[in-house]
Amino acid sequence: MSRPPGWIRAVGKVGATVAGHTGGMGLLAWRTATALVTGQVALRDFLAQLYSMGVQSLPLVLVTSILSGVVTSQQGGYQFTGSIPLYVLGSVVTSSVVLELGPVLTAVVVIGRVGARITAELGTMQVSEQIDALYSLGRDPVKVLAAPRILAGMPAMLLLVGISNLVGVLAGMLAARLTIGLGHATFLYGARLFWHSYDLFYSEMKAWAFGFIIPLISVHMGLLTRGGAEGVGRSTTGSVVFMIIAVLVADAMFPPLFLN
Amino acid sequence: MIEYRDVYKAFDVPVLAGVSFTVETGETLAVVGPSGTGKSVLLKTTIGLIVPDRGDVIIDGQSVFSSDPEQLQVIRRKAGYVFQNAALFDSMNVFENVAYGLPEKTLKTLGRREVTRRVSRALEEVNLDPAIVLSKLPAELSGGMRKRVGLARAIVGEPQILLYDEPVTGLDPVNAAAVDRLICDIAERTRVTSIVVTHDIEGGLSISDRVALLEGGKLRFLGTPDEFRQSRDPLVRAFADRKAAVQAAMEGSARAGRLADSNTPALS
Repeated sequence: MSRPPGWIRAVGKVGATVAGHTGGMGLLAWRTATALVTGQVALRDFLAQLYSMGVQSLPLVLVTSILSGVVTSQQGGYQFTGSIPLYVLGSVVTSSVVLELGPVLTAVVVIGRVGARITAELGTMQVSEQIDALYSLGRDPVKVLAAPRILAGMPAMLLLVGISNLVGVLAGMLAARLTIGLGHATFLYGARLFWHSYDLFYSEMKAWAFGFIIPLISVHMGLLTRGGAEGVGRSTTGSVVFMIIAVLVADAMFPPLFLN
Repeated sequence: MIEYRDVYKAFDVPVLAGVSFTVETGETLAVVGPSGTGKSVLLKTTIGLIVPDRGDVIIDGQSVFSSDPEQLQVIRRKAGYVFQNAALFDSMNVFENVAYGLPEKTLKTLGRREVTRRVSRALEEVNLDPAIVLSKLPAELSGGMRKRVGLARAIVGEPQILLYDEPVTGLDPVNAAAVDRLICDIAERTRVTSIVVTHDIEGGLSISDRVALLEGGKLRFLGTPDEFRQSRDPLVRAFADRKAAVQAAMEGSARAGRLADSNTPALS
């Protein structure tokens, strides 16, 4: 029997890789949930990860959210001046920040600052036999290393996205006043005019999803690392690419699933 | 007692091709052989760190690969594993690293003072001064000290089995001899069952009750150090007599050189 064409083999290989990663991450999520339910996740480890992911990411998230609010406000002001009532800017900035920029930019910051670190850290532990050492000492790396990181991701992202939304809107409001002279009251009038309370819930749902996806992928990729320092570099790069694509795909699935 | 039953493992090519032998309780077995013949893989299969494609390891009558996760943890707690590069946890200091060798339940029930006492005793057993090293991070230790801390972590839980993966690789002769001496001392004092994977033949022969030679994933020789030294098997002889091995290698390369010369066309 002749071999299938190259493109079919390539598609098959990609399919097998995707299925392997999906299965691995599903198992990791299941074991994390089991560890949580059976009370085998140390509170101290969880809080340490929450501090590292949430509190220590705050300065960078603040910078990103301020800049995103300012840029959205300035570009909206430039486009609306002379054509659309300027109070609409309040709605545009608030909706852009809360529905999209706050969750996605925060996720990108967390991917770069936390996700990459987790993969590199666990990858180094893997190639230096520290993971094997944990097994040999009768410890389960999923309970000790993976579960605290995966579980801390969700509350950390909820916190960060909430703060990012608030700061982004305030920065946009301030920028509107300084650049096009739009008063706070007019900005807030516009913001309230098209505001749905559900938007905030929608934003936090995204935060929750991204807070699950990022540490899950980073832990999974870290534990798969093989091949010394080069392998750690390779898996960290792969992990960052994987996390960005996963977050953007998840982000694209939110409007059809939750906004219609 | 540790029993290896037809252990087979392949990573693209077979690394272990059906290895079977038994290590008696209290015995020290040195496993030697050329690089890449599956010595470390064999050691890792002992406590299920690597799952073989076929075969099983039986420890005190209990199958490693038929056990559920809880039973496997119990089996693993019977063993202490000394890794080639110590595999100390980078983020923990020496005290925390060694204390991690105690079972989780023991750690929770013992007070801080008792844990410190046990950790200090383990460090003293490997000739390290607790007052000096307890608060140091692994990065602040020399290679020899890291190996000793790794050994202290392996023995602090008073295991019945000790598995050493290249315990003297990368050490100078003085430190290597000191680590060999420690392995002997611990085995004599605690009657622990030990398996030592090593490239240091002299050290391996001096500390072991029996020697196993792996070659091409198969067991080529199993016997006492004296039998190993007196064996007529060319590979065993090459390992037992380093001078002869070097001479044979040099003769081999000289012959290859002569052959290459005879096949090279003369330059005009």
